[in-house]
Amino acid sequence: MNLNVQALGAQALNILNKQKAVVAIAIIFIVMIFPDTNFYTAGNFSNLLEAVSTNAIIAFGVTLAVICKGCDLSVGSVMVMAGIIAIMLLNSGMNMALAIILAILSGSVVGFINGFLIVHQKSEAFIITLGMGMLVQGIALLLSNARHVSASDPNFQRIANDNWFGIPNIAAFMIVFGVLVFLLLRFTSFGRNLYALGGDYEVAEHSGINVLRTKWLAFVLTGTFAAVAGVLAASRFNTGIPIAGVDIPLMVNCGVVIGGTSFAGGVGGVPQSFIGIFVIFLLRNAMSMIGIHPNVQMLVLGIMIVAIISLDCFAIKRKKEAV
Amino acid sequence: MTKQLTQERSKFVDFLLEYLVLFVIVGLVIVTAIVEPAFLSQRNFTNLMRQFGALSFVALGMTFIIMGGFIDLSVPGMISIIAMVTLSLVDIIGEIPAMMIGLLLGTMLGTLNGSLLVNVGANTQAKALFITFGMSQIYRALALILTGGFSMNWGTLFAHPMPVTRALGSGMWGPLSISFWLFIFFLVVLYIFQSKTFLGRAITYTGGNLTAAELGGIPTKRIVIFIYALGGFMVAVGSIVLFSRVSVTVPAIGDFFERDAIMAVVIGGTSLLGGKGSVIRTFMGVALVILMSNCMNLLGVQTHVQEVVRGIILVLAIWLDHRRHARG
Repeated sequence: MNLNVQALGAQALNILNKQKAVVAIAIIFIVMIFPDTNFYTAGNFSNLLEAVSTNAIIAFGVTLAVICKGCDLSVGSVMVMAGIIAIMLLNSGMNMALAIILAILSGSVVGFINGFLIVHQKSEAFIITLGMGMLVQGIALLLSNARHVSASDPNFQRIANDNWFGIPNIAAFMIVFGVLVFLLLRFTSFGRNLYALGGDYEVAEHSGINVLRTKWLAFVLTGTFAAVAGVLAASRFNTGIPIAGVDIPLMVNCGVVIGGTSFAGGVGGVPQSFIGIFVIFLLRNAMSMIGIHPNVQMLVLGIMIVAIISLDCFAIKRKKEAV
Repeated sequence: MTKQLTQERSKFVDFLLEYLVLFVIVGLVIVTAIVEPAFLSQRNFTNLMRQFGALSFVALGMTFIIMGGFIDLSVPGMISIIAMVTLSLVDIIGEIPAMMIGLLLGTMLGTLNGSLLVNVGANTQAKALFITFGMSQIYRALALILTGGFSMNWGTLFAHPMPVTRALGSGMWGPLSISFWLFIFFLVVLYIFQSKTFLGRAITYTGGNLTAAELGGIPTKRIVIFIYALGGFMVAVGSIVLFSRVSVTVPAIGDFFERDAIMAVVIGGTSLLGGKGSVIRTFMGVALVILMSNCMNLLGVQTHVQEVVRGIILVLAIWLDHRRHARG
């Protein structure tokens, strides 16, 4: 029993050591005590949580892609397209559940095509998903005629905006999906295989893992999660905005890496990704609260992205040199 | 006999695939000319030439970066900050010196990108992609902070008459526009550089196999910094041509240029895997990208359908590229 506690403590220290983002979060929280702002209010935290939620759901999907040494830059466009499809199907008089399921399936289809091109045809993940992102963005613009679309059914708005025992629904969804992916990675053979083939593709292939199917499925899931986030975001604002997804893919992929899921593949997980996304949004929120100009915020975020990815590269380089 | 036949055919197919872009251009020109005769008019030709403008210069620089096995997403931020700095300096130090400073700034920012990548050990395209994206955010933010987010209009804002800018933007010399002459100049110089100099060959080797090039005694780190510096210089040229043409410059002026430049380079047939490519191919790629939008406009294709078509063509081009080079 005692040993168990000690082991847990050691594990926690180890995680903290790897998780520099946690330190960043702690620093932000401490710094925010001093200026007189609305940072420490329930309203702000629930706002923050809602803003994080959709991005975190995308990040859970992207985590799967990054673990198997890929990445997905089409998620922003997929998210936007799914939201628009859901709202347009709903407005055409379709049953809400069916409309949402079809919208989410559209994301799976994009993920399936991504998977085909990356896994089966061996294209480079980041560039082909960049291209797919453009393609899907075009579809979103075409469908919506480049206008904002709003759902006429008031019930659609309630999916994300209702509360569930005091927790905003959208945050509850995030928790559910987070737990789902966490369990998937930890307790299924799919999850184990994913880590294995991210660590070393050849070795995984030779040890009899069906690498094609596993990696392919990872990309399908990434697309699906992006679509789920898209439906929730559309429901949150009751609007599908065709150009809302431009900044998201690189931001989310960077967030995942900030959390500690490395591009080297084979490491990372759901909690890390959540922390990575959370630190980006917390920083934004804190900067807005102090009243920093948006242009300067952009500068700070840019510097943070460059610094964190550079550190990741540097760590990989060091590890290689050490071997 | 049969074997020979199949070999002949595969050679033909190879040739077709290798110069696919040329056939597509010819096909596109013929179809559009038949459906819409206005396509062949002098006015449309002038129009097409002007559209070559900024994109072609950026794409020429991007060719070397991609040939070296890397990628540069910092183009939008760089275009924006170079245009803003150059225009702000015009009234202080005059037109030509301001442009020189712009070119210098582009080269410096490119060098900064390159040295950052080399020093942190970002030796793959994916890592370079994210770091240069972050750099783009930084440059764009700096441009916004410097100008306060206002747009600039050289046509009315400045006390100086700006003959060089005007000439670059709309001047003609003989049958071609001045910016197109400039493009031809850079195309020839860079082609000679790429095929006849040691440095040009070394870039190709570096892109083909980084480790082998390093073991073979090529200073790969300096090569990477050099290709980014060259890319930065070409972005600066593109930026100056761009603000000359549009006259009103907003901080978001460079948006999507990285995307279109990468698309032009890849469609031209320069491999994203590095080590294979040519500026001549990029010329064809740019021509196809510009012709495509021109033809679709003339044929009355809806804007958003054009976007989808462009996306499909980009995905197809990348896919074909990987099929051709990954297995060959």
